[in-house]
Amino acid sequence: MASEFDFSRRGFLTTAMAAGAGLALKSGAAENAPAAAPAKTPPSNRIRYALIGCGEEGNVLLDALLKIEGIEIAAICDIWKYARDRVQKGLKRNNNIDIPAYEDFEELLAKEKDLQAVIVATPDFWHAPISNACLKKGLDVYCEKMMSNTMEGARSMVKTMQETGKLLQIGHQRRSSPRYRFVLNYLLRDLKLFGRMTAANAQWNRAVTPDRGAAKAITMKPELLAKYGYEDMYKFRNWRWFKKYGGGPLSDLGAHQIDIFNWYFGVMPVSVAASGGVDYYKEHEWFDNAMCIYEYKLPEGMARAFYQVQTTTSAGGGYWEYFMGDQGSIKMSENPSITQLFREANAPDWAEYIQKNYVMLKKSAAAPEENVKVDVRESKVLETYALPVGFNKVIHQPHLENFFNAMRGKEKLTCPADEAFRSESVIHKASEAIAARRTLDITPADYEV
Amino acid sequence: MSEQNETAATPTCWDATLAFWLLRGWLGLRAVMTGLEKYAQMGKVMKPWVDPKTGAADPGGAMVEASQKVYALANYSPIPQSMQDKFAAEPLLPAFMLKIFYVVLGPALIVLGLMLWLGIGTRISLFAQGLLYIGLTAGLIMIKADDGVAWLAIHVVLIAYALTLAKHNQLAVLKKW
Repeated sequence: MASEFDFSRRGFLTTAMAAGAGLALKSGAAENAPAAAPAKTPPSNRIRYALIGCGEEGNVLLDALLKIEGIEIAAICDIWKYARDRVQKGLKRNNNIDIPAYEDFEELLAKEKDLQAVIVATPDFWHAPISNACLKKGLDVYCEKMMSNTMEGARSMVKTMQETGKLLQIGHQRRSSPRYRFVLNYLLRDLKLFGRMTAANAQWNRAVTPDRGAAKAITMKPELLAKYGYEDMYKFRNWRWFKKYGGGPLSDLGAHQIDIFNWYFGVMPVSVAASGGVDYYKEHEWFDNAMCIYEYKLPEGMARAFYQVQTTTSAGGGYWEYFMGDQGSIKMSENPSITQLFREANAPDWAEYIQKNYVMLKKSAAAPEENVKVDVRESKVLETYALPVGFNKVIHQPHLENFFNAMRGKEKLTCPADEAFRSESVIHKASEAIAARRTLDITPADYEV
Repeated sequence: MSEQNETAATPTCWDATLAFWLLRGWLGLRAVMTGLEKYAQMGKVMKPWVDPKTGAADPGGAMVEASQKVYALANYSPIPQSMQDKFAAEPLLPAFMLKIFYVVLGPALIVLGLMLWLGIGTRISLFAQGLLYIGLTAGLIMIKADDGVAWLAIHVVLIAYALTLAKHNQLAVLKKW
């Protein structure tokens, strides 16, 4: 079966070569657009962008953005004066950057005439309206995941991207991570190091955290909150837990990792079974804990992927995606210290791959002591390996760089909206499965635009 | 007899001069390089991962950590920490003396080696190097590092021999001393 995703190393190299030949490349969706306008960049090739959304994620992105050469922040926007002022003053104090700050993104778009790009890091329910408006204004957009808290919202973003021919990169930053790309392109695809893939398992568990509040002095007035769709300050501060604004923990945390299931397996799942509930935090609408199982029909056979997100315990050692084959497995994580590879005892030796720097031996297989072996069917202790590669940038930087390089026609987007929409559709489907309390089939109709 | 008279009265013995130049070169090199190495440490740098099939750097930007030697004043380490710990446990080696010795050792080796190379106070340089090696030998005797003692003894013999040949030195910036 052909991969549904075209992110092979060969594809990447082809893209790079084409870019070298002077061809301006857009996202897959943009390539199909009827009138793909070339990216407008000033003669200096500096790209001017605005940041819409100055909350936690906006600040994380800004930290990466300020490290990228050849781009220039022109304005910021946030409905909350406290967040807006903090970023504006911080830029002036720490970076000697004095730029205007807006409350309303429409005012920003009207007044900032020389923008080429917008970075959207607002709560999910604002992603579609803002991204669509920016695309229609002729701007390229980098929008944080999830694309939207609704399928309709996400679908509208893909349609607008296709209609305008502008770029719309979605913030699944692992798609541009040199470490994740290395594992996919070299270990999984080229070497087939882990043999036949049969299962995956991923999690993001977090300890109990109290809901967020805001001091009276910085609380927004009810009229202002209502203007931007919020019922009150509590829901503004804790939007991730409410269906009107966000998609819940499966969407917040699982989106990254379920996307990796789809990307690494190279196909979309055919079904999902899931369970979850609001059992702990009584004030929330979205479930606090969820577990789901996807089925993937791989060319070599069926594989199942289990995902859990717990917001009531940090048990399980952080956040990771574990891909398992009959020859070996990899516990992958954005955190290099969590990443580990294991060779099955009956698999061919990996000495050649150590020598060629694909993997590093971390711990040889030690024979278990007889008196601690409790079951005769117990498998042998496996050799443990480490991933030798990394990158010397902050986590979101490669994904943002890919976006700006795509604007310059040097690269192809690693996560264009049409691609992200397919992947995110199955996350919405898991939430549906929890509500329906049964296994749901997933068909191409589910992720049709 | 003054040095000037000695030079004027003694015809150049090129065999001895060449022998001294060899010793001057080797002992100078030994001192300078040993001193410089005390400022070196192995650091980690990121380099592009190279695809063994194509020989090209990974287009995805994967990097690998590689060891690289870095020289810096901040890296100064007079002798290995394990040896410092042993010296610190010796009652006949007072802490203040060790401290002075550690501060002086690296810079002194570099300066004395350069003096020897350039011919500035050749005899003083050789003698001072000999004293440094004797100081190190004293410490090594106490911690029973006999291999190191023998190793330093060879240095001292070479220095003593160089001193006997010093009068045949040529091409020195300052022949006196």
